[in-house]
Amino acid sequence: MNMRALTDGAREGTAIAVPSTPVPPAVTLPPRRRGKPRGKPRVSLLGLAMLAPSLLLLCAFFFAPAIFTGVFAFTNMSTSTGIGKGDWMVTPVLLRQLRDAGLSEADEQAISAATYVVDAEHVARAEAGGVDARFLSDIESRLAGETYDNARDFERDLRDLPSKPRSARALKGAADHFASSVLNRRYATEAAFAAALSTVAPGLAPETLSLVTERAYTGAVFTVENFVTLATRRDTLRIVGNTFLYVGLTLGFNVAIGLFLALSTFYLPKRVGSVFSALWLLPRITPVVLYATLWQWFTWENGFIYILADTLGLPTYNYMKAGVTSAWTIMILSNGFVGASFGMILFSGALRAIPVQQLWASEVDGASRLQQIRRIILPQLRWPVLFVTAYQTLSLLSSYELIWLTTDGGPGTTTTVWALDAFKTALWAYSGEFKYGLGAAMALILVVVGLTLSIAYLILFKFDDLVSRPKIEF
Amino acid sequence: MTILSHTKRLTLAAALLGSTAAAGIAEDVTITVWSGGTGDSANYRIDNIKLAAEQLSREAAIRGDELNITIEGQGWSGWDEFKQAVTLAAESGDAPDIIVSGHEDLGPWSQAGILRPVEDWVYLDQWPLNDIYPNLIDVATYNGVVWGIPQDAEARVMYWNRGALEAIGWSDADIEALPQRVIDGDYTLYNMLDDLAAMQEADAVAPGQGFMPRPSNGPDYWQFYQSFGGEMLDAETGKLLLDTEALTGFYQFFVDAVARGVVPESYLGANWDDWHRAVSGLTAGAWHGGSWHYAQWTRSFEMENFFDNVQFTLIPAGDENGRANSITHPLVYLMGAGNTEDEAQIAADLISIASEPRLNAMHAVKSGHLAISEAEVSVPLYAEDRWLSEASEGFLPYVNAIPNDADFGTYWTAMYKGLENAWTGTMSVEEAVETVKADVTSALGDKIIVK
Repeated sequence: MNMRALTDGAREGTAIAVPSTPVPPAVTLPPRRRGKPRGKPRVSLLGLAMLAPSLLLLCAFFFAPAIFTGVFAFTNMSTSTGIGKGDWMVTPVLLRQLRDAGLSEADEQAISAATYVVDAEHVARAEAGGVDARFLSDIESRLAGETYDNARDFERDLRDLPSKPRSARALKGAADHFASSVLNRRYATEAAFAAALSTVAPGLAPETLSLVTERAYTGAVFTVENFVTLATRRDTLRIVGNTFLYVGLTLGFNVAIGLFLALSTFYLPKRVGSVFSALWLLPRITPVVLYATLWQWFTWENGFIYILADTLGLPTYNYMKAGVTSAWTIMILSNGFVGASFGMILFSGALRAIPVQQLWASEVDGASRLQQIRRIILPQLRWPVLFVTAYQTLSLLSSYELIWLTTDGGPGTTTTVWALDAFKTALWAYSGEFKYGLGAAMALILVVVGLTLSIAYLILFKFDDLVSRPKIEF
Repeated sequence: MTILSHTKRLTLAAALLGSTAAAGIAEDVTITVWSGGTGDSANYRIDNIKLAAEQLSREAAIRGDELNITIEGQGWSGWDEFKQAVTLAAESGDAPDIIVSGHEDLGPWSQAGILRPVEDWVYLDQWPLNDIYPNLIDVATYNGVVWGIPQDAEARVMYWNRGALEAIGWSDADIEALPQRVIDGDYTLYNMLDDLAAMQEADAVAPGQGFMPRPSNGPDYWQFYQSFGGEMLDAETGKLLLDTEALTGFYQFFVDAVARGVVPESYLGANWDDWHRAVSGLTAGAWHGGSWHYAQWTRSFEMENFFDNVQFTLIPAGDENGRANSITHPLVYLMGAGNTEDEAQIAADLISIASEPRLNAMHAVKSGHLAISEAEVSVPLYAEDRWLSEASEGFLPYVNAIPNDADFGTYWTAMYKGLENAWTGTMSVEEAVETVKADVTSALGDKIIVK
């Protein structure tokens, strides 16, 4: 085998070894079956059984959340609507809104009427509802024929009865059996609500009945409003800009520093190189909360940089929270160091796969270190660099936890990126108003962007080439 | 595994039945209490429920019942995580039995069906609940239903550094007259900016540290909207109201404060502990916070001689349209839905007992909050506290609350985002106001009036 063939083989080997390291290609290739026509692939039950746990996990923790996100994105789900099915309920606030929508005053009064009638029908209802017999007999004997237009008056009279129950709930529960009202009552089904409404306000026109029923629903409804909001709101463009800037700058930092570290440790004596590599792994192996806390100690008031700057007579402030440029710098560096160590590991692995004979040969030819890097190493690191770029783009696009724990998107919203905004919209609000639907729509957009980028990267990297059969067989 | 013989099975069944019968005599109940806004000094939000449980058990024993109540309390100091925890737990059917939260949560939570209305479980006309200030009961009411029992009250105020005022030539008499001048509208937010800038020029405070507002979102910022004549609710229709002129005045004030150099452009989002340390160390010329911060500064931040060093007033008016004001943000005891009726009744009884004057006074005095009832003011522990008496007298007549409305959160989030945009210079004041207007009208439609 000549030198050229060795180089080609090494390059192919590098390409395969780095992005798809888990399985050496020569081992995974099925043995060629000469002379046999290719039939339907055989499905092994054992294989499926082995796969089942991971398939279940995949469904539970990836597909199901993704599907839920997709569905939620097309709803107005929020704290007020609750998650899942709602109820039907008429409230004074709803009646006010219905008046704006054209409900007549007479209809409003009919719907909001609350009466408590002590008659045989209601007594029978209370009896069936399990109200204490002695209490009921007191009600029947002392209050028969009475009508009340509010709960408080009726309850006051009930509390004067000798056999009244001790608990407030029991008394109010008993009073409830005598009520004819839909106000502030929750009905689990539309039919039950419509029936109750028709009883309380029998004169409602069918269109009014249907309007009230539609608006009385407390749960979420399907809508595309979230996407219209995102397309038209003023913040969108700025947050998209922030996201691009953050992903671009952090990615550049990741790849450049990762490459630099891999190259410098490659040329160091092996033991020293290993120590440096291990040190650079710290940001990746440190739990994110602890890592963020370290950055806080480093940059907050009376932290390391603060004291250093104070000693040198430079401006001192909370660098993480109180300066736009410093907050951006910290956001990029803190995320960048985590990514850099990831790049370093992959690049170091790829560097080890370059046949060392090439470097010896170049040294014989008088090549400098820089020439070695430029002419021999970098061309052979093309795949790993592209892989790290692709992987980190997707990872940075969807990551927000470190930003949340450090700058929290501030000062103001100056370091807020799309993923952080999506999280805060859906699940993190001082006012307690979580907009699950809008947040899901933002997450869905992120998923679509991620998928599009993944496909683009696969085409760009010629993924087919990457996983193709190597040109030499082992 | 062995197969139980017939006799053994019968014995086991008898033993199980026997244990059930024994359990029927004694009732063991676990009540969970989740509380927001619960730092070191606000432990009585939960501890009062524990004391109430002890009381209720003793009362049950006198009636001849054995009632063992275990209280599982959990407190959160931050609101974002607390509201997330409560909402998601409730949606998954695991709501706590008692929730201590801001009254503004009544709207969305009652609509979502995660609360039980407290008025169905207690007699509001019975002591101690009938002694609670009616305006506080109103704050705990939404859609005509009383959903919660007020747990505390407060005022949010402007604090002034007496030393820094003296440094720019204010006499003691001038400083003493300040609260009334603020009430009369004779001293406005812009007078304050002039004086803060003068303090910085006189080196009484460091540049950029003249004014130290609250570092993060809070009801406090609505005060500045009110200072410029803004109302959150339209009195006539009961709808939410966005007054763009007042919002412009409010945003412009903070932009002007940045321009005058008394507060940095990148101030918002600062760390709370840094802020407490700075203001309790009298680093700033003026700062605004809650009445309860007094307790934190004097207890946790070693602030001494508070009254000698600090003056306190309402938030001044911003212009002739506005008024000096203060917002109270009572927390309320709420009942989570999803538990059994027996548990709910015990939770309601505990809330009633915890609202008794002596118990609530411990919370008020330790945490720097104001009383919820007339009788509480007479409890000696409360009556002898100088800060609470002065704050009650000086501010309570002027306080108002943010509205209970299921959609107020959307409006609030937009307001604060707009403030961040204007303050940090990300947008001009006009753009920020237009953004708020666009956000709320697109989200709320005709549920909000924009003027």
